[in-house]
Amino acid sequence: MTGLLAQLHYIASVVLVAVGLFVVMDDENLLKKVLGLNVFQTGVFLFFVTVGFRRGGSPPIVTGDGGPYVNPLPQVLVLTAIVVGVSVTAVALALVVRIYREYGTLREDVLREAVADD
Amino acid sequence: MGDDRAVDSVVVTQTVRLLSPFVFTYGLYTMFHGASSVGGGFQGGVVVASVVVTLAFAFGIDQTGDWLDRGLLTGAAVLGVLSFALVGLGPLAFDGVSFEFTAYPGEKGALYAVEVVEVAIGVTVAATVTILFFELSGGFDERGGSE
Amino acid sequence: MISSLSAVLIVSLVVVAFLVASVRDVLAATVVFAAYSLVMAILWVTLQAPDVALTEAAVGAGVTTSLFLVVIVTTELPLAAATFDGTVRRSSVAAAVGVTCVLGVTLPALPAVGSPDAPAFDGVAPYYLDQSVPQLGIENVVTAILAGFRSFDTFGEVTVVFAAGVTVLVIFEKEVL
Repeated sequence: MTGLLAQLHYIASVVLVAVGLFVVMDDENLLKKVLGLNVFQTGVFLFFVTVGFRRGGSPPIVTGDGGPYVNPLPQVLVLTAIVVGVSVTAVALALVVRIYREYGTLREDVLREAVADD
Repeated sequence: MGDDRAVDSVVVTQTVRLLSPFVFTYGLYTMFHGASSVGGGFQGGVVVASVVVTLAFAFGIDQTGDWLDRGLLTGAAVLGVLSFALVGLGPLAFDGVSFEFTAYPGEKGALYAVEVVEVAIGVTVAATVTILFFELSGGFDERGGSE
Repeated sequence: MISSLSAVLIVSLVVVAFLVASVRDVLAATVVFAAYSLVMAILWVTLQAPDVALTEAAVGAGVTTSLFLVVIVTTELPLAAATFDGTVRRSSVAAAVGVTCVLGVTLPALPAVGSPDAPAFDGVAPYYLDQSVPQLGIENVVTAILAGFRSFDTFGEVTVVFAAGVTVLVIFEKEVL
């Protein structure tokens, strides 16, 4: 049990990835799929930042005497990834709006029939 | 949700009108002080864009879209990327490789280059997020497909 | 051992993630997603990552949520029959459980969270922490890496943000704003 508690962040990131993947695959509303994609991304970010965490470390702002610092490199990668993630979300939402203008629906099953009819 | 709101909510408009300058100043502060404290270009740019989004939610998306200058937004987005590229290619003139900011002359040459880069990032991110918001709401001119 | 605050935050994070997945109404799911992003930002602070927390709070709870709300306004709001989702597809459940098992098998090989002798602290991290102030004069090491040591990657990221703006214009078949 202590082994489980020592890895709680990693377990949470795996669960978040699974939940995000489930929402992308299962829900038929296109907007909820994009929400699931965002949850998936945050799960990966949690894994990255936890790898660089050190117990008793301080934030990576060097001010003379700061003791041991947390690893700043995963935070840089996650910062970049968050901004790229919002760009991907914006493009996905633009696609959703365009699909709605063309076919008048946001449901995946109705959309599949409408595209097959074309 | 229809487009014919009878009256704006007084609480929302007054609160947003009071808070927007302070949040905008905080966004600029975060953008400029990325080097010495928590912050940086991305965070400041997103905070500035969120001020525009809050104004759009409070006073109406059409009105805010009319108030914004499209040439300014496009120019800001392009200018940010271009100035980042120019500052990055500058060290070639000082016998360095590209993006090697320590090749700039002076004791604080690298620091100034990083500051310019941070502001450029912030300007581009703010302009692009504003453009994305208004495009997703139906464009600057026509409102299509709203129920 | 991780602190109790982190444990409480992680448990509530997973619960809110399940709520985002199961709530049927899209507007309610967007609001729950804003709350999820807020809990995530507090978790970043307990992981000693203030820059990431600021970005997550501004981007997740601010920009992404407002983009979703704008799209919900301009498209439609489908009427929800029930509050929570009842029917699931077996292939989706199988895929989620399969991914959990495959990733979970690798978990015992990872060091405990926050252990000081993890292999993540050898290599370039001490170099960046030591050389940030002498070489660049910047105290915020995250900014120093972003805009100084690895500015080429940041240039690519700014180009991606700009390309997203251009792509949205292409999707709507407009040449000017």
